[in-house]
Amino acid sequence: MKITRRELLISAGSLLAYSQLGSLANAEVNIAAQPGDQEMIASMCKALYPHDRFPMSIYMDVAAGAIKKGNADTGAKISFRAGLDGLKINKFDKMNFKKQTKYLKSIENTPFFGLVRGHTVVALYDHKEVHKIFGYQGASFDKGGYKDGEYNDLSWLPEPRIEEHPDLTAFLDDSSPKKYASLKIKKTF
Amino acid sequence: MKIDKKEKAVVVIGSGPGGAQVAYQLTKQGIPVVLLEAGRRIMKEEYVNEEWPAFSQMAWLDKRTMSGNARIVKDFNGLPTWLVKAVGGTATHWAGATPRFLDYEWKTKSTYGSVDGATLMDWPIDGKEMKPYYVKAEDAIGSTHRGGRPPLPANNNYKVFAEGAKRVGYKFYATGPYGTNAAPYDGRPASIQDGFNFQGDKNGSKWNPNVSEIPKALATGKLELRTNSQAVQITTDSSGKADGVLYMDTKTKALHRQEAKVICVAGNSIETPRLFLMSASSRFPNGLANSSDQVGRNYMRHLTGSVYATFDKPVNFFRGETMAGFLADEVKHNPKRGFVGGYYLETLALGPSFLGAFLDPGKWGKKFADMMDGYQNMAGMWIVGEDMPQANNRITLGSAKDAFGLPAPNVHFDDHPNDTAMRNHAYEKGEAIYKAVGATQTYRVTPYPHTHNLGSMRMSAKAKDGVVDKWGRCHDVKNLFVSDGSVMTTGAACNPTLTITALAIRQGEYLADQLKKGNV
Repeated sequence: MKITRRELLISAGSLLAYSQLGSLANAEVNIAAQPGDQEMIASMCKALYPHDRFPMSIYMDVAAGAIKKGNADTGAKISFRAGLDGLKINKFDKMNFKKQTKYLKSIENTPFFGLVRGHTVVALYDHKEVHKIFGYQGASFDKGGYKDGEYNDLSWLPEPRIEEHPDLTAFLDDSSPKKYASLKIKKTF
Repeated sequence: MKIDKKEKAVVVIGSGPGGAQVAYQLTKQGIPVVLLEAGRRIMKEEYVNEEWPAFSQMAWLDKRTMSGNARIVKDFNGLPTWLVKAVGGTATHWAGATPRFLDYEWKTKSTYGSVDGATLMDWPIDGKEMKPYYVKAEDAIGSTHRGGRPPLPANNNYKVFAEGAKRVGYKFYATGPYGTNAAPYDGRPASIQDGFNFQGDKNGSKWNPNVSEIPKALATGKLELRTNSQAVQITTDSSGKADGVLYMDTKTKALHRQEAKVICVAGNSIETPRLFLMSASSRFPNGLANSSDQVGRNYMRHLTGSVYATFDKPVNFFRGETMAGFLADEVKHNPKRGFVGGYYLETLALGPSFLGAFLDPGKWGKKFADMMDGYQNMAGMWIVGEDMPQANNRITLGSAKDAFGLPAPNVHFDDHPNDTAMRNHAYEKGEAIYKAVGATQTYRVTPYPHTHNLGSMRMSAKAKDGVVDKWGRCHDVKNLFVSDGSVMTTGAACNPTLTITALAIRQGEYLADQLKKGNV
């Protein structure tokens, strides 16, 4: 079975894209090299995954990565160029959010959209600044792990039991096929 | 130790929980073993506590394709599973839950009866026979809550999960059984609550063969571990016995051959049948040991799915152990729910990087962004349930080629209506748990590529019904064994690694005995 480039980008692309980040070919003609192009793509990234708490600089970083991918090969270049032209002609960055969403819906099946969306969902939520804003602290190994009072600092619920319930073994062991053989499945499918 | 390629050796293919365990059981008894591993050895110091870099470091990214009606086919077509290409296999990535099969889960055909479209079958072994091996497996892994080993403490994600479960009326929640040390055990330290179990665990508190069976087997002096050595064909002699393994040095692409007297294959549910199918010959035209036509069929991947919820107060669910939260109340077969079999709910935390990719693949827009925006106030759980074996959910050799020019495996997967009914039930229960403790938004997450890959080389009493017998020995080729989760006749509700380990210990002991008696 053949995977088309588009399928790859919008699906597994989100995952596989990461491992391809470093393998971009040298390009002769660069797409999206005009002043304002990166801002335009950034406005699309923001409309796709709108977070008021994120400064525009984060979306600009993400846009730079998308543009790099748009220049990865000839196929990407021609679709990226067409998609970017569409944004420019329609003054996408000047639309309100509702209109932007409507426009993005209308181009949802284009390779350009697939490329930018697939890249954005990975690059945006992998961005170190985003992790900070989200309060995600990530690795703790070098600090000796999360300490008592950190990994369990939630105080708005009572302390739970951590041992198994005393009836668990009896519950799991009570499993004679005979008991279940008499039960008939109520077909809901 | 160094074993000559011309020597007829015991060859184990794959160093995950199945292969490494068999190799350890044999070498422990003084039997030399060549262990072929397609990946390299990544020492724990090299593990990376960042989601995507760790993924790139260890994931099996060789070309694979998918077909079928399951949503994952569209969402992640090039990546049907999340397997690891490294010493220790996919246990490098596993989180660590270690429940056992329930007794009747060895006999699903007898218990559930016939289910349309499903190929349910009783295993040729039962819970009574497996019980002592489960104890050995729990001791090998160091499961918490078992063998006198203490439970892990509650982290924030568990606090939300357990209290929600309690308020819904559930009883059977706990922080395990779990394969990461709560106290020092077997030369490995206690957890320092640093998470990143999926990325290998730098602290070495989590069991996986790379920090346990592999060093132990090497210490016997009887193991030759050959890394970057990917098996591509098993050859047979004129009597139809397996006599050698052709394997490729993945760095130089040079092809080598190891002579063999016994071969144990543990390449996981995709690579194991792929190797058998690539070993077709004039004697075995449909693939090696495939007179039953069952090689590659009945591939299962467990029910799976997740529920995430946000609250109006912080949770910080990423801190601490990745999956140390366990709920068994829905595991029992109760057809009144509208499906056969049962499921567990288990806590699960992802970082923002993975959550973005998996929360709702392909989705974009404000609702998605709002859910991600609640990251700090988020809790999460994973659904693990029994999925139905189906004859056409199978691994075949596709028309696509991998980077080595070998036929890439195609994974066909259709959801069974029983799977869908069970998943919807689990989604409802998971949401109820979180709503009981004040969730402001809940999110149902569709299955994504993961580690639970079962069946495709099923175990059967009769040769016509499956590929291997009760010892994991091929019905058609008597010196060829399968030692991984692909032998599973049916998958039960539980996370599979403990059962794979128990089966491998049992097989290793049997094989050592047979070799000593000269029966193989």
